[in-house]
Amino acid sequence: MSVVVRIPTPLRKMTQNEAEVSAEGSDIASLIDDLENNYPGIKDRICDDQGEIRRFVNIYLNDEDIRFLQGQSTSLDDGDEVSIIPAIAGGC
Amino acid sequence: MSFHLQSQTIKEIEQHALETYPEECCGIILEDPLGTISPQEYVRTCGNIQNQRHAEDPKTYPRDARTAYLMDPDDLLRINLESERENRPIKAFYHSHPDHPSYFSEKDKSDALFWDEPAYPDSAYIVLSVYHDGIQDIKAFVWNEQQSDFTPISLIGAGDVV
Repeated sequence: MSVVVRIPTPLRKMTQNEAEVSAEGSDIASLIDDLENNYPGIKDRICDDQGEIRRFVNIYLNDEDIRFLQGQSTSLDDGDEVSIIPAIAGGC
Repeated sequence: MSFHLQSQTIKEIEQHALETYPEECCGIILEDPLGTISPQEYVRTCGNIQNQRHAEDPKTYPRDARTAYLMDPDDLLRINLESERENRPIKAFYHSHPDHPSYFSEKDKSDALFWDEPAYPDSAYIVLSVYHDGIQDIKAFVWNEQQSDFTPISLIGAGDVV
């Protein structure tokens, strides 16, 4: 499946400053692997050593947080939009 | 160097900080640099889901919303899309420090970094200090490339020093 992936500012150095790229994958996990093939090092920014999505990274399939779908097993359809969004947080 | 906000914007974020007291508020300020006559600012209040995450997983999220915020990612997605589709760059992120001064804390700094780089290098961070009797003050911070750190910048509101 070919989907559009929205890349956050801090990762755009890896995508030649492209804010949106096309990638292939039947689910989120294979999509991340495809991104890694095309933009080496990007997976390490998104996933931890165990391959889990880092907790300060949000991944949305269209307008749904994949945490509330099937996580990395969430399947993809042609034309889907995937957004990678760094969390905004802080405290006193 | 200074950072300007419209007085209406300041009123709106102060109101938000007062409404959520004694918990932290958070939100985003978008800017339409062209506007109809002059640049327009849009305050987008966001949910703080820190209490929810703290209740679900207190080990990973030891703080509650009185001393921390985690912007609802649904709001973040929605506002990011608005920013891109309407050509309204993210001018600033804001949050409040209930019963604390308006410093940019170590947690604020570390959470604003994504792999040692600012997640949003072109946006300012606004911190409002709020106590039971009202807003104490507001400060702005921006990423300083030379110092590799967030540093304070003078905040000017509609011609008046805030």
